[in-house]
Amino acid sequence: MPVLELREITKVFPGVVANDRVSLVLERGEIVALLGENGAGKSTLMNVVYGLLSSDGGQVLVDDKPVKIKSPRQAIDLGIGMVHQHFMLVEPLTVTENIVLGREPGRFGVIDFTTAHKKVQEIATRYGLKVDPDARIMDLSVGMQQRVEILKALYQGARVLILDEPTAVLTPQEAKELFSVVRSLVDEGLSVVFITHKLEEVMSVSDRIIVMRDGRVVGETKPSETDDVGLARMMVGRDVVLSVEKGPSECAAEVLEVTDLHVKDDRGLEAVRGVSFTVCGGEIVALAGVSGNGQSELIEAIVGLRRPVGGRLMLKGVDITHASARVSIEAGVSHIPEDRHRRGLVLEFDLAENLILGDHRMPPYATRGIMHPSAVTATAEKRIADYDIRTPSWHVLASNLSGGNQQKVVVAREIGRNPELLVAAQPTRGLDVGAIEFVHRQILKERESGKAVLLVSLELEEVLSLADRILVIYEGRIVREFTAGEADEETLGYFMTGGGGTKLEDEGRTEHAEMAEGDA
Amino acid sequence: MLGSIITPDLFAAALRMATPLALAAIGGTICERSGVVNIALEGIMLTGAFFGTVVALATGNPWLGVIAAMVSGVIVSAIHAFASINLRADQVVSGTAINILALGVTGFMMERLYGHPGTTDPSAMLRPVFKFAMADGGFLGTIWNWINGIFLSHTPIVYMAIIIAIVAQWAMYKTRWGLHLRALGEHPRAVDTVGVNVFRGRWVAVLISGALAGLAGANLTLEQVGSFTENMTNGRGFIALAANIFGRWTPVGSYLASLLFGFADALQIKLQIFRGQIDIPPQFFLMLPYVLTVVVLAGVVGRAVAPAAIGKPYEKE
Repeated sequence: MPVLELREITKVFPGVVANDRVSLVLERGEIVALLGENGAGKSTLMNVVYGLLSSDGGQVLVDDKPVKIKSPRQAIDLGIGMVHQHFMLVEPLTVTENIVLGREPGRFGVIDFTTAHKKVQEIATRYGLKVDPDARIMDLSVGMQQRVEILKALYQGARVLILDEPTAVLTPQEAKELFSVVRSLVDEGLSVVFITHKLEEVMSVSDRIIVMRDGRVVGETKPSETDDVGLARMMVGRDVVLSVEKGPSECAAEVLEVTDLHVKDDRGLEAVRGVSFTVCGGEIVALAGVSGNGQSELIEAIVGLRRPVGGRLMLKGVDITHASARVSIEAGVSHIPEDRHRRGLVLEFDLAENLILGDHRMPPYATRGIMHPSAVTATAEKRIADYDIRTPSWHVLASNLSGGNQQKVVVAREIGRNPELLVAAQPTRGLDVGAIEFVHRQILKERESGKAVLLVSLELEEVLSLADRILVIYEGRIVREFTAGEADEETLGYFMTGGGGTKLEDEGRTEHAEMAEGDA
Repeated sequence: MLGSIITPDLFAAALRMATPLALAAIGGTICERSGVVNIALEGIMLTGAFFGTVVALATGNPWLGVIAAMVSGVIVSAIHAFASINLRADQVVSGTAINILALGVTGFMMERLYGHPGTTDPSAMLRPVFKFAMADGGFLGTIWNWINGIFLSHTPIVYMAIIIAIVAQWAMYKTRWGLHLRALGEHPRAVDTVGVNVFRGRWVAVLISGALAGLAGANLTLEQVGSFTENMTNGRGFIALAANIFGRWTPVGSYLASLLFGFADALQIKLQIFRGQIDIPPQFFLMLPYVLTVVVLAGVVGRAVAPAAIGKPYEKE
């Protein structure tokens, strides 16, 4: 007997059919992966099940009985729990307070915190989810917060657990822990629906895979019956090139020259400590490193968002060491920032405005401070077509696009500007395979047209497949340089985590250089 | 001279002056913790002060005046609740509108009811709760006189404010209502998904703040002054908001912060008496509470973190 069954669920949003007669069966004790590109309708479907959205057709059955779920409360009462992509946790409250919220033990409205603690501890021990019940959510790591969300669902009596892109926010280590937690939950008799667009996760955790595309279920399979390429084809609907083909690079001319650069972080500590390298036209140089080793500060210095405290930045022979973002854009630096919401887009602006942001002062978009809307929209329409941005029109607000399409907007703008140097920071973060492929192709096109590309990525696969040269950054220094084909994931990982030390000879040299500078 | 400035009645006055601020500030705390900014405290307090006097004048019973003050506070705050929760209006605009409305309505009704602007006739007032004799002389006698003077000389609402601060603090951290309130102002969607009604929670919080601000108004007219004067709140609602922030959005914190403002006010009045002997313009002393407010709001005394969802109307998906 299935614990949860969906029959022909249909959900229509104005202009879009988000779910088109979707059926799905979940048995007790199994992990079903719901795989699909961003915007395929996975989250919509689960929001219907959880009572956050009402369906326009179809039937939900719990334990073979038809039910109407109109609110999360009803879903919870039926034993359905959901961990959302954006956590439903109250940051300043404690772990216990968050878990019992809405179902507090106690009498006459007074909460019995002793009992609450005990219950939380009980569940935590039973499922092996260790967490400090008195810690405030805001003091916990993202992985821990997610654990609290799972505990909350269990406390509420969930037998079916829906996880909406649970690994999107986790480090690889945390993701591994999550998978083992999910395993132990299933061993205890729970059933899990796992929404994702990451192929390797699906292959490693799920019992069954249901693939969605454009609001429809397009296939069902098992990890043992398929592979990455097969899944990608199902998901995108065509063959996807997971590996990148490219010819050898040739250095036409040095475009960016970084010399002994020193940059401080927000706390005033030196985050970049004497970095020197060059990027040629027609070359992709990748900066590989564990997050927080000075990459962000280095990029910000190059694109004019942060003043270096020492060293020199040259772009095609022009000194841009102390250039502002505006000067740096005008000098030909484009920047795909790592956080598209914070730095890449103005979410409340429409696509046309977002697509020309940064060039808005220059002709043809503006002359003498007066904007020319027709020029703006003409460019916007062209870029929407060229970069395959899926939107009804340029009138749409950036906030209404899916993550993949938002990233395409940023890429379209930054590459469409025709820069000398493209700085791409985690350009495929949170994107599905189809969109990743697209962004990679755009970056390679830049390289082929003789532009310089500086790529920063935490995904080693991406670094290895795109880069002509790889610089490994560790604690603000470049500890190693590889040419394409020279390195593999293991070697890179070794140096990224400080395996090669901070390279004593190298450090000695830097110090000498500093002394020499001091003498002069 | 210092001896004649620092006397029991300076501290007693501080407690007295702190009371309306504290009541409104606690109301503000409860309201803002639910995620609704209540800049209308000033107007609600003024309305409460007015209707308290009207009813006390009409019936001769100051306690009925207190009830009228609280009821009118609840009614005015309901306007704010409806505008900011149901209509999702800008809460600062709604609050400002209510402040202007309260000023106009009280002035207008005064003309209609009493035929003149300015100040009403004196009404019946609430008497001090205790009446202990002063002791004469001796060390123990002096101590008694200080205790008696500072703590035992007050009218009922002064004590009520202290009790309300403590009870509200307890309720906020130990009861279901309090937990839901604290969660509401931070992450209403999280509260909604566990089946707690966001709209109702916010409505209740706004109405409570109205009752407390109304009570603050009653304290002004029925305990401190004895009559109503147009715009007599004179910015106290805004000072209360500052006290709420200074008190880090907690009831007891709000009370203690109000005490500081109350002390500044009491000192200011006291120093007026000595204006002949101190070579500082009296306007300077008058400024004290307001300067303190600006200093607090500018975040000079440690930065306080407001509830995350404050001022944001909640919309169901």
